[in-house]
Amino acid sequence: MNIITKPASTETKIPDGVFQETVLEVQHYTETLFKFRTTRPDGFRFRSGEFVMIGLMIDGKPLYRAYSIASPAWGEELEFYSIKVPNGPLTSHLQKIKVGDKILMRKKPTGTLVIDALSPGKRLYMFSTGTGIAPFASLIRDIETYEKFDELILTHTCREISELQYGIDLVEEIKNDEMLSELLDTSKLHHFTSVTREDYKVCGRITDLMKSGELFKHLSLPALDPKNDRAMICGSTAMLKDTQLILEKSDFIEGANNRPADYVIERAFAE
Amino acid sequence: MTFVVNDKCIKCKYTDCVDVCPVDCFYEGKNMLVINPDECIDCGVCEPECPADAILDGNDPEAAKWIELNTKFSTIWPVITEKKEPLTDAEEWNGVDDKLKLLSEEASQAA
Repeated sequence: MNIITKPASTETKIPDGVFQETVLEVQHYTETLFKFRTTRPDGFRFRSGEFVMIGLMIDGKPLYRAYSIASPAWGEELEFYSIKVPNGPLTSHLQKIKVGDKILMRKKPTGTLVIDALSPGKRLYMFSTGTGIAPFASLIRDIETYEKFDELILTHTCREISELQYGIDLVEEIKNDEMLSELLDTSKLHHFTSVTREDYKVCGRITDLMKSGELFKHLSLPALDPKNDRAMICGSTAMLKDTQLILEKSDFIEGANNRPADYVIERAFAE
Repeated sequence: MTFVVNDKCIKCKYTDCVDVCPVDCFYEGKNMLVINPDECIDCGVCEPECPADAILDGNDPEAAKWIELNTKFSTIWPVITEKKEPLTDAEEWNGVDDKLKLLSEEASQAA
């Protein structure tokens, strides 16, 4: 007799007060990275750049992790971009989801990587490493981001070239999509990529490229200045800390929802 | 390590943190809020929101001495899930040092 393992997500009654959404699409990029799209609950509102707790029923209990919503606030579906952590309590299950499976979602989106937490400026820098690109995938598809800033600079640094693919596909999609390119002035959007462990057109950590000035040379833009520039940071703990130090040295002030200022940070939620 | 609330919250209780917490892990006493360390997911969103700078990253060396207080009162006080008006003289008390002696151990009264 075959032993059939039931999917972890559908076995038991779902907890009260959470949404249960259906997986509509799953795309694996590498051994460690995948994106998925789900239905969006009626009445679920969020601001582009926010995160929400998503989860699965595992051994009869709900297990949640914080995930940035990668789709924009106006999207009919929700998109998430995830790492696969070997033996990760949630991602070891989540990476096996298939179209039609259900995921749990708590009802309260939140976050600081929102336009509301920044004071007006000319340029918006979005510094990301790894899956830290997810909140920016939302923001660069939101018309408000283009209305509020003259230029949007998305930087994405990964270890290997293949890990940049999600961002590359995304930017290409935005620039080629008929509806998006009509709504958004996509000429404002710059996508800068670098890798740290392979040969590539630009190599190095984003913080080193900022310090050396190489980043700004590539972009043909002046050095960071709180008069004109605003910044959002999402990545590894070390990257957050180092990028924050560079910004603080240039007199950038950290903002919050109730106190908009020059830059905001958010932890990348790796397990 | 999770985040913790320190004595800078006492007699202010702005509750901006409550609005942004994705897991509703703030608990409300009469004149202070605390974080339940078992429920906090360490997302850090609340920290910059606090007008009194009363929320510390658990990795901050200053945080260690506040963990016990947060743990204790989060099991006694009721959960707070929505922002409300700060205490009436919050502005006057914001920034005053060493407010621990002013802590009320009473739970908040339901609104």
